[in-house]
Amino acid sequence: MATTKPQQNAGIHFYALLLLGLLAVSAPTWATEVETPEPRELIRAAMEHWRGVTSYSEMTMTIHRSDWERSFSMQAWTEGDKLSLVRVTEPKRDAGNGTLVKDQSMWTFSPKINRILKVPSSMMNQSWMGSDFSNKDISKSTDIIDQYEHRLLKSENLGDHVVYTIESIPHEEAAVVWGKEIVSIRDDFVMLRQEFWDQDDILIKEMEATEIAIMDDRTIASRMRMQKLETPGEWTEMVVDDIDFDVKMADNLFTLSNLRNPRQ
Amino acid sequence: MTGLGSHFKIILTLSWRNLWRNHRRTAIMLGAISVGVWAMIFMTSLMRGMVDDMLNQGIRNLPGHIQIQHPDFLDDPSVVNSIGEPGGELLTALTQNGARSWANRIRVPAVIASERESRGINLIGIEPAAEADISGLPAQISAGRFLQSNQDKGVIIGAKLAERLETRLGKRVVIMSQDPDNNIAERGFRIVGIYQAELAAQEEFNVFAARGTLQKLLKIEGLVSQIVLVDHDYRDVESLYRRVEAVTPDGLEVKPWYEIDTYLAVMFNMMDGFVLVWVIIIFLALSFGLVNTLVMAIFERVREIGLIQALGMRPGLILYQILLESLLLLLIGLALGNLLALVTIKPLESGLDLSAVAEGMAMMGVGSVIYPSLTLYDVVLANLVVVLLGILTSILPAWRASQLDPVRALNTH
Repeated sequence: MATTKPQQNAGIHFYALLLLGLLAVSAPTWATEVETPEPRELIRAAMEHWRGVTSYSEMTMTIHRSDWERSFSMQAWTEGDKLSLVRVTEPKRDAGNGTLVKDQSMWTFSPKINRILKVPSSMMNQSWMGSDFSNKDISKSTDIIDQYEHRLLKSENLGDHVVYTIESIPHEEAAVVWGKEIVSIRDDFVMLRQEFWDQDDILIKEMEATEIAIMDDRTIASRMRMQKLETPGEWTEMVVDDIDFDVKMADNLFTLSNLRNPRQ
Repeated sequence: MTGLGSHFKIILTLSWRNLWRNHRRTAIMLGAISVGVWAMIFMTSLMRGMVDDMLNQGIRNLPGHIQIQHPDFLDDPSVVNSIGEPGGELLTALTQNGARSWANRIRVPAVIASERESRGINLIGIEPAAEADISGLPAQISAGRFLQSNQDKGVIIGAKLAERLETRLGKRVVIMSQDPDNNIAERGFRIVGIYQAELAAQEEFNVFAARGTLQKLLKIEGLVSQIVLVDHDYRDVESLYRRVEAVTPDGLEVKPWYEIDTYLAVMFNMMDGFVLVWVIIIFLALSFGLVNTLVMAIFERVREIGLIQALGMRPGLILYQILLESLLLLLIGLALGNLLALVTIKPLESGLDLSAVAEGMAMMGVGSVIYPSLTLYDVVLANLVVVLLGILTSILPAWRASQLDPVRALNTH
């Protein structure tokens, strides 16, 4: 195999990237009602929170390496946790490149070759658009709820918020390579931090929310960074420039023909 | 006319004594012949051993002497080209009067991933109980255990692959493939065994899991990729092939190993011809020495030959005598050479370790230990070639000696 990218997993998926990570909420009811929430329910609630929510956002992705750096501007549409469409707008030579995710299937479109490619399982571990995210990160969905054993490590007060730190250990047969993941979620569903540990308890990579902002009346992590511990000078950053929630989606938005011929 | 037979004793005595007149020259020639014959037999047995090993390994990786599969499977080994597990007449044939052993196998391309690396692999679903007879896998386990049942949830990977993935025994890996509807099929597996194959390429490429577990993962319950049959000897699978083919339902393809891997088949078929060519090449080198020895022996005896001709010996008997001399030389040389070969091959039959050049050998698909294989065919061939061609090359000098003019011969100094 030519490209052998370390595998990411069910924890962050595109939806997570776009939203879950940026988990926002106006009224987190469970946080006030339940004093020590069941960790599994905590994560489920975070997921549930986005079911049926639609969004349109404009984002910038920056890929940083020790000797170069490049940025993409992208538009993204999401509906719940199963559907998402991303399209690159800048720079010009990459404009039009798109990715469509439906459930666990993923397609990419490249205007240069005018072809839609269904990403096969063999390419799921490869990098998404050259970033530190793999295709799998982008396409995976809510398996984190059922494929892991969750345990609340601690809950601490941080300013006005409570931050829950949850340790998630994948089940024996889960399609997850990690030994464990540690997730820090704020009581308003903003995911502050997600750590990926290998089976020898060595931290491999982490995703961190470095800026939290209120956009369109919801609190989201507006800047997130994915970084591998073994290569300190390399990271990928996602910045949400603008986001609108509960937008009306055209019926044909999440279709292959729309991936090829944009109609918005 | 009294036949040559009545003079045989005299001629034989003459030949034998002539042979030892210049005993140093004869000894050197004997040395040359015996070393030549030794080289023929010894090198041939080494080559046979190597090719046997190559064929055995190659066929084991196929992995059977005969395979039953979907007609498109060999061209496109994807999960779509699966077949049903054997049933009915075929199953009866397989279990009752079929091969020495048989098993179902699943074989799909897949990707294996650890925390740090991922690689493309050949995922093989096996039936642990049957596998022992079919491949050498159970014996190759170097750490951990072999799979225990058709539903075993573990996976066995090669030592080299473990190194590449930066993982080890007891850790979990994720294997990804596709089901027949092109949906991603993936699952975590714990590494329960590490195997060491003779060839590093296999270690890196073949990953083994239990058949039932893979059927569930790939959503192909009741389907397998191949039915593998192994008979007693790969050289003799024809009759089994006919029997199995007769009961195999339409839509399935039955193939013997020599049709699946034509490279191996060519190796196998070429070997006999190769041995012959090798024997003849050595003989050619040898024949120059032989002819030279005879020509010299005759050259020294021109006066003598003239004398016995003048005394009444017929040219035919002179020819006869010289050929007999050559034959005696050849026979003694052959006896020594055969003995030498036997003495050198016997101690090596437990294996000739060439681990120093193992890498080069692996490139040829041969393990690092060669087991010379001495076959009667090769020994007989080498001896026959030496005797027949040896006599043939002796005819010319002998014939010229018999045609000497006695008067001129007697006057030669």
